[in-house]
Amino acid sequence: MRKNLFIVLLVGTLLIGLSPAWAGYSDLTLPRIIYKGGNDNARPEGLRSLLSQIARRTSVEVNREPIALKLGDPSLFNYPFIYLGGDKAFDPFPEKDLKTLRKYLSYGGFLFIDDNSAESDSEFDRSVRRMVKKLYPQTPMRKIPRDHSVFRSFYLLNTVSGRAIVKSYMEGISIKGRTVLMYSTNDQAGAWSRNKLGDWNYDILVGGYRQRQLSIRLGINIILYALTLDYKKDMVHLPIILERLRRYQPK
Amino acid sequence: MNLLAKLFGFDSSDYDQWQLNWNLEDPWLILVSLGLMIPLALWFSWTSLRRIGSAPKKVFLFSLRALALTLLFFILLRPELEFKKSHSLKNHIAVLLDNSKSLSIKTFPEDVSRIDFVKRTLEFNEKYFEKLKKEFHVDTYLVSDGISKTDGGSESFQPVRPYTDFSRVLDELNKEYEKKSLQGVFLFSDGADLTEEPGEVSQGILKPLAKLNAPIHTFQAGNNDQFKDLALESVSVPDFGFIQQPVRLSVTVFASALGSRNVPLVLKDGDHILVSKVIEIRENKKYYKIDLQFTPRKTGKRIYTLNLPRFAEESILTNNQREFEIDVARDRIRILHLNGRPSWDSRYLREVLANNPRVDLLSFFILRSLGDDVAAPTSELSLIPFPSNLLFDDYLSSFDLIIFQNFKYEPFIDKKYLANIRSYVEKGGAFLMVGGELSFQGGSYSRTPIEDILPVNFIETDNRYMDREFHPKINEDFSNHPILHLEKDIQTNQEVWDALPPLGGVNLGLTANKDAYVLAEFVKTTGSKVPVLVAGEFGEGRTALIATDSAWKWSFRKESGSRYYHRFWNNIIDWLIAEPQTRRLQLESDKDRYQEEQQVFIKLKLLEKNYQPASNITGKLTISSRKEEVIAKDLVTDKQGEQVYTFLPKHAGFYKANIEIGGLKEEIMFSVLKDNAEFEKPLVNDFILKKISEVSGGKYFALNGSNDLSGLQFENPEIKVKSHSRSFSLWNNWWAYGFVVGFLFLDWWLRRKAGLS
Repeated sequence: MRKNLFIVLLVGTLLIGLSPAWAGYSDLTLPRIIYKGGNDNARPEGLRSLLSQIARRTSVEVNREPIALKLGDPSLFNYPFIYLGGDKAFDPFPEKDLKTLRKYLSYGGFLFIDDNSAESDSEFDRSVRRMVKKLYPQTPMRKIPRDHSVFRSFYLLNTVSGRAIVKSYMEGISIKGRTVLMYSTNDQAGAWSRNKLGDWNYDILVGGYRQRQLSIRLGINIILYALTLDYKKDMVHLPIILERLRRYQPK
Repeated sequence: MNLLAKLFGFDSSDYDQWQLNWNLEDPWLILVSLGLMIPLALWFSWTSLRRIGSAPKKVFLFSLRALALTLLFFILLRPELEFKKSHSLKNHIAVLLDNSKSLSIKTFPEDVSRIDFVKRTLEFNEKYFEKLKKEFHVDTYLVSDGISKTDGGSESFQPVRPYTDFSRVLDELNKEYEKKSLQGVFLFSDGADLTEEPGEVSQGILKPLAKLNAPIHTFQAGNNDQFKDLALESVSVPDFGFIQQPVRLSVTVFASALGSRNVPLVLKDGDHILVSKVIEIRENKKYYKIDLQFTPRKTGKRIYTLNLPRFAEESILTNNQREFEIDVARDRIRILHLNGRPSWDSRYLREVLANNPRVDLLSFFILRSLGDDVAAPTSELSLIPFPSNLLFDDYLSSFDLIIFQNFKYEPFIDKKYLANIRSYVEKGGAFLMVGGELSFQGGSYSRTPIEDILPVNFIETDNRYMDREFHPKINEDFSNHPILHLEKDIQTNQEVWDALPPLGGVNLGLTANKDAYVLAEFVKTTGSKVPVLVAGEFGEGRTALIATDSAWKWSFRKESGSRYYHRFWNNIIDWLIAEPQTRRLQLESDKDRYQEEQQVFIKLKLLEKNYQPASNITGKLTISSRKEEVIAKDLVTDKQGEQVYTFLPKHAGFYKANIEIGGLKEEIMFSVLKDNAEFEKPLVNDFILKKISEVSGGKYFALNGSNDLSGLQFENPEIKVKSHSRSFSLWNNWWAYGFVVGFLFLDWWLRRKAGLS
């Protein structure tokens, strides 16, 4: 008998607001990185909203409340995924923090950087590029290609959305075949962010509902990529995914 | 001779010949020097005689000088007179009798073996050979892949040797007659030299043939008329194969005089038929190339048998069956990894598996459960259907290891497939359950086949999981267990374990079975113990569990990275799939293949459950061939848990050695080889026999048992050989020197008298 996961869909919104029955060490917690200078919490509701969407849409168990950490925090290595957002210039990271971050990423951690300014060539963007250059002087950030697993780890995506489409692509750094850092200039957290009443905190620039949904999907895909890596490139998945990609045209 | 005998003082009857020998040292130098000096000296001598008017006197004086110089010249040539006695020798004739196995093949319709044709011919021509022996030395040799001299008796002439190799035979014959006069050769053979290509004669034969310089008369024993046979002429098969990977065989079948019929070619593993193919035998075709393919399902040395049917009228029956051995190894470890939900624990384990070059990983993550709202149509999702029937029915046996990680089987796997997993493990498969909310009782595995195969029992408790940090404690009884070996040194290993970060939660309600290996536990402050890492055996397979979903903490570490985490999981994989180094009972032979009459060494090693040497344990070793049990012997392990047994197989064939000791069983196979290659290509090769006779200047005959060989004549030149001799020096004596001095003195005296200086 062939089981098909797509047959039954339950109303996911029922799950919103329920406390997790299981809060184990493997559950997903999203820490926001605290840094000096600038604004490291430009989208205070962004990560919580994303976690809520993950809980609603996927089987991933999450800790609903995001936390905030400094890179020097001894508990950093309890959280393999960290988020670094902002909309202003920030102080250069001290060498000690860069060393910790380098170790964190090479030992299996993942960093998602999100420019919340929704501007091209923003102060935050310049700070990020300065920091990444110091972090990996020999490995510059490159465009993440469209056949990267992040675009098929849960949803099939062929655009990089966000609150504003500053760039149509994400950039990233890969080490030994694993992407350890992704950077979006499109204010993803701004598109995810909604208040406790369920209203969206920030308007989408230019695009509408679909653009916000694609941003949420990208956020979920980024999390799923961090949790499953290149799983979707396994041979068993490829025929079906490629066939769907051929047919799938985003509206 | 008599005069010389008297002169030199010996008995003339002692010698019948004499000979003058010259023993010059540096002959060219001396001859050239003297050739210049003597004529010059004579010319001076002649010119100095101008004042002498008498011509006779002049000639006399010149003759004296010439005589003295000639004598001096003679002395310088160092002559010796040799007296010798010699006698005549007989020339040689070689009779070569092919005693390879193919000579036992019968020829029809006479129903006479090839060797009998030869024997009859020799008997029929007995007088001819007797006569030949009077004139020649007739040497008889048994030839096959070499030559060995024989007295020619029929007892020693039996078809026993494995090969015929004419190039070696001729090489050895050349050496044998290097200093003898060989005038002819009789070669009785069927020409079945497997080293030669059909229809060709190689330089390996032609070169020694030319060097031999004697005619070889060839006598073909048997013929191919009405030769009925169905044979596995050649089987091309690799020595190694890989489990679950197709092995390809290329078989050449030979059929002769069997008419048109269909025959099955069957490949078996023991009594189990692996594959069969029908061959359409046709009257006008002799060779059939068949390709077979099968997939080995077990690792280790396996013996396979190829069979063709046997027909009563066949000349040879032994070539209808062929056994061969393939060492089946594991090329890759095929792992099915099912994850109940994406988590850090599953992600880091997947990374270990995916980065292991030995592993072929098939992993599935349940990315959404039935209650999740993906807010998108299926076409916009990358999710694929879970192919449970393919995985747990069709392809289950192709996996080496199945991992359920925080995975609840419902609704993805029908409960009936859990029984398939039990059966898979029972037959030698491996299963690992990794903890989490959806594992053990949380995955509804209570009272299912999964509970049967795991080395723990599930107990219903109010709290199935304890979410707190703890350091697992290694069970000291199992400190030698391969799973716990993060470092070789026990002390260092313990320190590594102690230094690992704490785990973050443990599944509760598990109690270890009595045969389980509890490798690590969580010891509560109350003293009660919770099993964390448990391994066990079920049927022929192995299972294990780790009752936590926080082992990823051992990978993602600020201090030292993931080295020990990787080693830990690789240890678990190696143990679960029973890699050789993790087996408690090891049985091995010193070789895979033995020749007949070679001693076989069998070594066993037994370890306790905690992998310490199991000493003083008695086990039963049984060695059996295909037909019978050969040896049954009790063996007792020594202090190292080892024992060696040697035995001498009486017959060729394939043997199995089984050991049952300490509740464990192990089996190995080895073969004792006997070469029957000549039966695989049994045809008479008249081409090679004709060519040998033609090239050497001999004649070719096809034997019928009553061939008259008396017409064969050989040259018989006389060969004289000296038996003893005696030499006398003609220069190294007073006579020779006296004459020279005497002539010169006379010459001087007469010159003085004639008024010359």
